[in-house]
Amino acid sequence: MNRLKPFAYFEPTTLPEAIEILAAQEDGAFLFAGGTDLLVRMKRGVIKPSAIVNLKRIEGLDQIKKEPGRGVRIGALATFSAIENSHLLRLSHPVIAQAVSVLACPSIRNLATMGGNIGRASPASDAAPFLMILSAIVSLKGPQGERELGMGEIFSGPGTTALRPAEAITSLFLPDMATHSGAAYLKIGRREGMDCALAGVAASVTLSGVKIEAKDTKIALSAVAPVPMRAKKAEEAILSERLTEKCIRKAAKLASEEISPVSDMRASASYRREVVRVLTYRALMIALQQAREG
Amino acid sequence: MKVSIDLTVNGERHQVDITPWITLLELLRETLHLTGTKEGCGLGECGSCIVLVDGTPVNSCLMLAVDAQGRQITTIEGLASNGDLHPLQQSFIEKGAVQCGFCTPAMILSAKALLDENPDAGEEEIKQALSGIICRCGNYKKIIEAVRTASDRKADS
Amino acid sequence: MKTNYVGKSVPRVDALEKVTGQAIYCVDVELPGMLYGATLRSPLAHARIIEIDTSEATRVPGVKAVVTGKDFPYTFGHMIKDQPFLAMDKVRYANEPVAAVAADTEAAAQEAVEKIQVTYEELPAVFDPRKAAATGAPIIHENLEKYEHSSMYKIVPGTNVCTHMTYSRGDVDKGLSEADEIFQNEFYIHPVAHTPMETHAAVVKYDPSCRVFTVWSSTDAPYQRAKDLAKALGLSFNQVHFFSTYSGGGFGGKGAIVAEGIGVALASFTKGRPVKVVYSRQEELTASQVRLEAFLKLKTGVKKDGTLTARVAEITWDNGAYSSKGPEVARRGALTIFGPYRTPHVEFVSRLSYTNKQPSGAYRGFGTNQVTWACEAQMDIIANKLRVDPVEIRLKNFYQDGDRYINGQIMQAAGLRETLERASRGIGWGEQNSKSAGALVRGKGIATTIKGTATPTDSYCFIKVNFDGSITVLTSSVEIGAGQKTVLAQIAADTIGVPLDSILIPNPDTYATPFDFGVTSSRTTYHMGNAIRMAGQSVRKEILEIAADVLGANPQRLVFREGKIMDRDSEHEMSLKELMTKKYGGKGGSILGDGHYTPARSSIIKAEHGIQWMGSIFWMWATHAAEVEVDTETGVVKVVKIAAAHDVGRAINPMACEQQIEGSVMMGISNTLFEEFKMDKGRIMNDTFADYKVASMLDLPVIVPIIVESHHSEGPFGAKGIGEPALSPTAPAIANAIFDALGIRFNELPITREKVLSALRERDSV
Repeated sequence: MNRLKPFAYFEPTTLPEAIEILAAQEDGAFLFAGGTDLLVRMKRGVIKPSAIVNLKRIEGLDQIKKEPGRGVRIGALATFSAIENSHLLRLSHPVIAQAVSVLACPSIRNLATMGGNIGRASPASDAAPFLMILSAIVSLKGPQGERELGMGEIFSGPGTTALRPAEAITSLFLPDMATHSGAAYLKIGRREGMDCALAGVAASVTLSGVKIEAKDTKIALSAVAPVPMRAKKAEEAILSERLTEKCIRKAAKLASEEISPVSDMRASASYRREVVRVLTYRALMIALQQAREG
Repeated sequence: MKVSIDLTVNGERHQVDITPWITLLELLRETLHLTGTKEGCGLGECGSCIVLVDGTPVNSCLMLAVDAQGRQITTIEGLASNGDLHPLQQSFIEKGAVQCGFCTPAMILSAKALLDENPDAGEEEIKQALSGIICRCGNYKKIIEAVRTASDRKADS
Repeated sequence: MKTNYVGKSVPRVDALEKVTGQAIYCVDVELPGMLYGATLRSPLAHARIIEIDTSEATRVPGVKAVVTGKDFPYTFGHMIKDQPFLAMDKVRYANEPVAAVAADTEAAAQEAVEKIQVTYEELPAVFDPRKAAATGAPIIHENLEKYEHSSMYKIVPGTNVCTHMTYSRGDVDKGLSEADEIFQNEFYIHPVAHTPMETHAAVVKYDPSCRVFTVWSSTDAPYQRAKDLAKALGLSFNQVHFFSTYSGGGFGGKGAIVAEGIGVALASFTKGRPVKVVYSRQEELTASQVRLEAFLKLKTGVKKDGTLTARVAEITWDNGAYSSKGPEVARRGALTIFGPYRTPHVEFVSRLSYTNKQPSGAYRGFGTNQVTWACEAQMDIIANKLRVDPVEIRLKNFYQDGDRYINGQIMQAAGLRETLERASRGIGWGEQNSKSAGALVRGKGIATTIKGTATPTDSYCFIKVNFDGSITVLTSSVEIGAGQKTVLAQIAADTIGVPLDSILIPNPDTYATPFDFGVTSSRTTYHMGNAIRMAGQSVRKEILEIAADVLGANPQRLVFREGKIMDRDSEHEMSLKELMTKKYGGKGGSILGDGHYTPARSSIIKAEHGIQWMGSIFWMWATHAAEVEVDTETGVVKVVKIAAAHDVGRAINPMACEQQIEGSVMMGISNTLFEEFKMDKGRIMNDTFADYKVASMLDLPVIVPIIVESHHSEGPFGAKGIGEPALSPTAPAIANAIFDALGIRFNELPITREKVLSALRERDSV
């Protein structure tokens, strides 16, 4: 059997308590939310925590709440299932349910949390791209108090975040989407079943009132750079021209050029580039269609 | 270091003293001797270890036993009631949905959770719900038929 | 003969235990006083072991034994006795077992394993069997010539080649000169893992007083494993006792000593306490068995109209570091490279070489996956060039009843035509492909296969009619998941004349159930089925004699069906239960029948002298017809539909036949499109399901299973087999369909999305 090695275990009931424990343990303590990344890496010996701090006894960290006139706040401990099935989010940010449906599989989604996914900072995160195109803001709390980081600031490298020692993600805030907006997340793996993205593309398009020009667009990619990233050059191309199919093709090509994919046992860099170009085009087309209908 | 937890498994209350580093899978198989739940990989990638926690399917190999505190766990052993098979157990037998049987507990429990929430689940929804469970015997087609049969019967009853 | 059960899709008799979680697999076995084993494995692919320090490991609390190859210096091997239980002077593949620990808990054993220190001296390693077979390659088994081995396997001294087989018939040069066109192609088929959901496991108990090893295992052939262990340890067969549990899948991978070896080594030192060894998924993927990798060269001469004139094959197989069943795969599996086709002149060279990789062994198909890949891909290459329809070219050349096989055996029950016709109809062969929709292009392809069964082999069984009329069938056929118990129970029920539910078939126990060659080679329905027919006829005869006596009737006038005996003359009726209770209910007793089936004396296998072994008591035929849809922008190949037609002789249980067909189509799709080992200096990098991808439910295509019944003259109720041929044609059918869609020929497996896209870019850049 794949088993865990012994660790010191803590079950704080408040966030300040959790932070205090983290601070006291220094580097050896890991926060434990869904465990679907943490326990796997522990069993594989990739990380060897001396202590685990279980966040799930703390009340109120898993709420999905509307902030009227502003957006939706998702608690760090909300599971991806809760997020996928949230009636509120299906109305306010439909791309989330669509994207989450290709994240792992149902039984994993019943455990895995949004906060855990961001904290893990996998370059291939399926959540980061849609959070980026939705301009999510991450709320943190630590010994020095509370602060916020944007999605462009939260990841500092593959598997590392900009969190300070003993800091925890408490929630993510998603501003309401503008009218005439559409968004989609497309991903490709090695088979149709659950797989780590070889490349993932989230794209959103917001049309101007007359619906022929893009007022705003965001394109975010995973698995093709050290951290999930925005394809800024591609975005600029969309915004600087009339929104034609040719323009979208050009943007897709730019996206494939501004990434820095690696070749690893999953896929080669050149395959990733090809696929990014195709998925960016397709995601933009879907987003555009939705924006026109919406 | 031991933690005392209280949980209900298949309707039966248990109080156990455990080390915090054991998973729910280990608790079920090794402490409670319920071997119907299997380890296929121990890393959440195959679904063999799926059990229902408060009716929701989870990979028990990735859940710490301490998190089962106060929860209702359903394993395959707890599905039949008073000797009567659950409609899914019945349809799995009838439709040839069992070959080597190793993935069967996970498939049945996940299908139960699906039908409890969505009695009208169609083929696409069944595939999505069971997508995280590997059947190496490749019996997917008959497994889907068995789930549909159970769902059709529930609809008729 | 009218049957009540044979031919019907009765529910699997083992299904109830499995849907309720009661079925015990080897990984579930718990015994009093049981210890747990863990294994230390080599990080290097080829190295001398200089020193092993186990002192820290023995001090871990709960540890009861720490064993190295020095403590347990034995080797085993069914065909070539080349494999140590624990590495001795050197290691030959990454993750080879070097030491093992037994402790009170698995966690303690794992902790102790980490504390064992080993000093290695790395040696040059070789991973490509073609390089390994060449002179000058690092020698992996220095004492190869000294190993005990069957004389069937020709070792080439001083090299890594441990089986070298040649055969020729007719005059290939003449045949090639008669050809209008000659095709020469090279093919590659990759190693894949069996990935049974239940990993390899064993529980072993050693009784030091009578020197008996008791082994609980889900191996597919308990008698063979007991035999090999007894031989390895210098024990009599009686001193190794196997209990079979249910198996969570084997697919050939449980056809060798794997976890049992570690268990035996540990149990020898735990003073009678049983030791349980369960492989983790990582151990399963890197240190159990894999399908033999093969490089195949095929040269075929054809006439303009598609008639084959000559075939020359050269195959290099990868044995891995230890033989397992590799030699027989290379010897027998190689033969069907010529396909199910009449070819007057054939020649082949088959070479098996060791490499510093995980041992290769039996994998569902036993060589036929590999040779069918080459043969059927080339048939399409030929058909395409000659502008002959792929179905037509096969129809033109395939074996029919009365034809002679390459060894002179006369073919019977050759249902290939029907499989070809029905499978191709099943995907609308000949109809225009659906129009391309944007980037999506469709194509269709077919492939056929031929597979025999190891011949001759023996199966024995006992049938007990108990004193209350209930029946126990004692057979060493393991329920490996394909429905062995059910099919055998159906045959028993109809042969004896009793209701199916009066029959119980317990799991094998080599002290109580008689010899069986094994659940392998797709042989169980045929061989054990026939043994059961024989035993069943014997008990039926005795039942009728007793009934005649008890009823005062003429035995010829008795009707015995569904457990009821009736005298046609007096119309007196009696149930079997009443009869047995009357005869044996007082002081007890039973009717005991035995059956021993072997095809050794059948005229069917008559062939030319010295090469009878190349034939088979029955041949299995199949055709897979596949329709694929390729996304030409991403390389994604979606298998839309597969019509899979199999000549099973007679479907004892049609639903169980469908299970095999549908199941192996999934395995075939998985092997062809998703599965691939990623290696780095002989280490497998993708040792979990995260990166060794196996088909999920979302990859399921429309599968149309088609059962063809050609009625074998000596099979039980006409049955043959199905387990293995179900897998072989899938890969070439998919590749041929991809060729139809894209005009791109893939001669190497796997066909991943990335490879497809890369090939498309190359095609379109020209």
